[in-house]
Amino acid sequence: MADEALAKAGLHFDELNKIRVLEPEVAQQTRELKEECKDFVDKIGEFQKIVGTFIEMVDNVAKEVEKEKMKAIGARNLLKSIAKQREAQQQQLQAVITEKRMQLERLRIQYDALQKEEGEQNEFLEQLISQK
Amino acid sequence: MRFKTTLQKLPKHSELVSCVGWTSPDELYSGADDHLIIRWNMTTNEQSTVMTLPNDCFPTDMHWFPKSASGMGGKKGASEIFVLTSTDGKIHIINRSGRVEKSTEAHKGAVLSGRWSYDGTALVTAGEDGQVKVWSRSGMLRSTLTQNSIPVYGVCWGPDCDQVLFTNGKQLVIKPLQANAKPSMWKAHDGIILTIDWNPVNNLIISGAEDCKYKVWDTFGRPMYSSTAHEYPITSVAWTPDGELFAVGSFNTLRLCDRCGWSYALEKPNTGSVFNLAWSGDGTQVAGACGNSHVIFANIIEKRLEWKNFEATVTSAKQIQVRNVMNDVVEKLDFRDRIIKVALGFNNLVVATSSQCYVYSIKNWNTPVIFELKEGGVTLIKQAEKHFLMVDGSGVYVFSYDGRLVCSPKHQGMKADMLNAQTLTLNNDTVAIRDKTDEKVVYLFDAQTGKAMGDGKPLMHKVEVLEMALDQCGPATERKLAIIDKNHDLFLTSVRIFGTERKSTKLASMIHMMTWNDETNMLAAMTDGKIFVWYYPNAVYVDAELLPKTVAEKVTSDFGKSPQLLGFIGSHLILRRLEGSLVSTTIAPYPAVLHTFVAASRWEDAVRLCRFVKDDGLWACLAAMATYAKDLNTAEIAYAAIKEVEKVQFINNIKDIPVKEARNAEMALLCGNYTDSESILIQAGLTFRAIMLNVQLYNWDRALELAVKHKTHVDTVLGFRQKYLKRFERKETNKRFLQYSEGIEIDWEKIESKIQMEYQKERERPSGNVGATSGGAGDATKPRSGGRKERA
Repeated sequence: MADEALAKAGLHFDELNKIRVLEPEVAQQTRELKEECKDFVDKIGEFQKIVGTFIEMVDNVAKEVEKEKMKAIGARNLLKSIAKQREAQQQQLQAVITEKRMQLERLRIQYDALQKEEGEQNEFLEQLISQK
Repeated sequence: MRFKTTLQKLPKHSELVSCVGWTSPDELYSGADDHLIIRWNMTTNEQSTVMTLPNDCFPTDMHWFPKSASGMGGKKGASEIFVLTSTDGKIHIINRSGRVEKSTEAHKGAVLSGRWSYDGTALVTAGEDGQVKVWSRSGMLRSTLTQNSIPVYGVCWGPDCDQVLFTNGKQLVIKPLQANAKPSMWKAHDGIILTIDWNPVNNLIISGAEDCKYKVWDTFGRPMYSSTAHEYPITSVAWTPDGELFAVGSFNTLRLCDRCGWSYALEKPNTGSVFNLAWSGDGTQVAGACGNSHVIFANIIEKRLEWKNFEATVTSAKQIQVRNVMNDVVEKLDFRDRIIKVALGFNNLVVATSSQCYVYSIKNWNTPVIFELKEGGVTLIKQAEKHFLMVDGSGVYVFSYDGRLVCSPKHQGMKADMLNAQTLTLNNDTVAIRDKTDEKVVYLFDAQTGKAMGDGKPLMHKVEVLEMALDQCGPATERKLAIIDKNHDLFLTSVRIFGTERKSTKLASMIHMMTWNDETNMLAAMTDGKIFVWYYPNAVYVDAELLPKTVAEKVTSDFGKSPQLLGFIGSHLILRRLEGSLVSTTIAPYPAVLHTFVAASRWEDAVRLCRFVKDDGLWACLAAMATYAKDLNTAEIAYAAIKEVEKVQFINNIKDIPVKEARNAEMALLCGNYTDSESILIQAGLTFRAIMLNVQLYNWDRALELAVKHKTHVDTVLGFRQKYLKRFERKETNKRFLQYSEGIEIDWEKIESKIQMEYQKERERPSGNVGATSGGAGDATKPRSGGRKERA
């Protein structure tokens, strides 16, 4: 009876006969809820951390991918231009070769002239020797 | 010869470089589209920004005020101000520290080119508006020379600063400064001409155009050389100051060419288009303004010189390698400063660096003679056997091989910086310099004293002298100068004259080039398709009839079209073909041997040599030499060998003359110098012979004049005259003879006896009876075949 009267006044006794404002059951449930909530928060936190590192990782990968992509594009362009470059280089080398060839031709002519002169001189010497 | 190029790792400018200019051989200024003017110091390899141009001012061309015209202003010969042309239509005169002294609105649209005249009195500019304008030194407009409808890309001064060359699309135009003079123009290229240069020393023009070719022209617009087409347009050309080489710039291309146009070397540096080229004052390095904001520097290396068995190669800017071909010994010569000029010859190697001169003997490469040079810019070295000559901006100096200054010849109005190998010649005793202002005048100096020769009057040729050369051997009194004039005639002139008139004789026409032999006085000359070698050019003074016989001809068809004659060493002729290869050919070695015999008066050996060779040319040489040396026996043999019967007879007659002077006079007659002959006779007091000489030359007036003057033999002259008239059945018309014949009886017996008396007197002369024989009498009265030619 007394319990009921007390309950009406909003007062309750728990098992240890301490006076309480809440019903012991409710209090029990509340406490449980609190525990669960805490657990939940912890779990969410952990999740967030995991997601965070995941995002970071993905970001890194994205950056890496971007870099590689640029590299690939560059390489592709380089490859395209190398043909042209080679052509220009070839042209330059060709010009140098032509120049050298002309030089060679000049030297060949000089050599021929000198050889001819040598021949003439030898002939002349032989003539001198045979006349004696 | 080739270029050694240097490029900075990173460009100093941030935009296209458009112009470069040297102040001294160690300092360069460059202007670029980033509005900066940068100074490049070559010794310390440092660069500094001199000034920043306004933002709307893009430079197009830069030209430093000529050093020689600035007089004493520039210390150590550095230029003080330069003109900068820009795209905003202005010209700026800026000093070396970067202060703008004057800015003038010059053209509508961009100013494309600006050039100071060589004497520094004027400036010419060309612009996009097609105008060419002449300005005073201070930047005041003097005149607008021309107005074209298209932009003028390049402009240049002529050597004498009295005409201007400029481009007009595909044409080149030379316009004199006089208002009413007609310009000469010619179509030069198939594309727009972008760049031109005109060398004041060799008077040749080079042009480069969008048709990717460069061409060399003379001032009459005749093409001297045309290159094959390059891959890209030619954007710049530049002559070296001495006119021996030029550089050509194009996209990624730098070319070094000979003055004839063929290319020594090609470089393919990574420069972009070379927009502007400038040679340093000493002609050893060239700077190029590159399209990729670099400035390229190129040094000339591997210049090769040959002399006998030595070969000198400039291997780098400060090193020469000398190789003795006979034993393959290689010497490396190192120098403190940059090598500017090298000359090898006459057993010596002369090297001029920017501050010193080194003289090496080929016998000793370890201890050269070294002396300091007052001014660094040596432009020419010429060697002779005993000494060498050096030309720098301020004068001409003769040094002995032990480094002593012998003299420094100078004439009024001499421009030392304009002298070149064609207009200056040297031998052991004489220096000859052609005047720049009047090209007919040649100044002759004694090489020992540096004083003008003889009476100090220069040699005046009839026409402008193009090229001249002194012979290298023989005594100084017989020195001769060979001259090629504007008509391409070859003349031979005596250098030392004593009271008499200068004897100038034409040897040949259509001669392009000539050179004396280094050991004997043989002369080689180049004409179309042939080389002439005069074995004994002096023959023209001895007996002009012999000259054609003493010439050897060599056809040059083996050596391509119009080769150049470079040298005549021993019996080798050195030629350069049109495309640049050196070739050599030989002449018979006998004339050289004959020369040495004659020089030593070994006449018997000379005769033996001629008999061995059995060549008319050689005999003719010997005849001329012997006659010149008055060796009658040899002359007789030689003339006999070439079947000149009348000369032999004449010599025989001379041998019989008892008086020495009379013999000399007769020798002079043999050489065709009857005026000399007469003066010899009169000087020796042999009046009778002088009279008879004129009688035999049918020079009646002179004979009578002499007879009357000396009051002797008037009747003899009259008698001979009468005989002569009778033979041709004519009457006396000469007033003087009519006058004198009055009252003079012609008695032939008396005349004969008088003549006999004269010869008797001659025989009794104390000096005259050396080798005299009795046959002299009456000889002089015989008609003489030898004397006949002078009157013909």
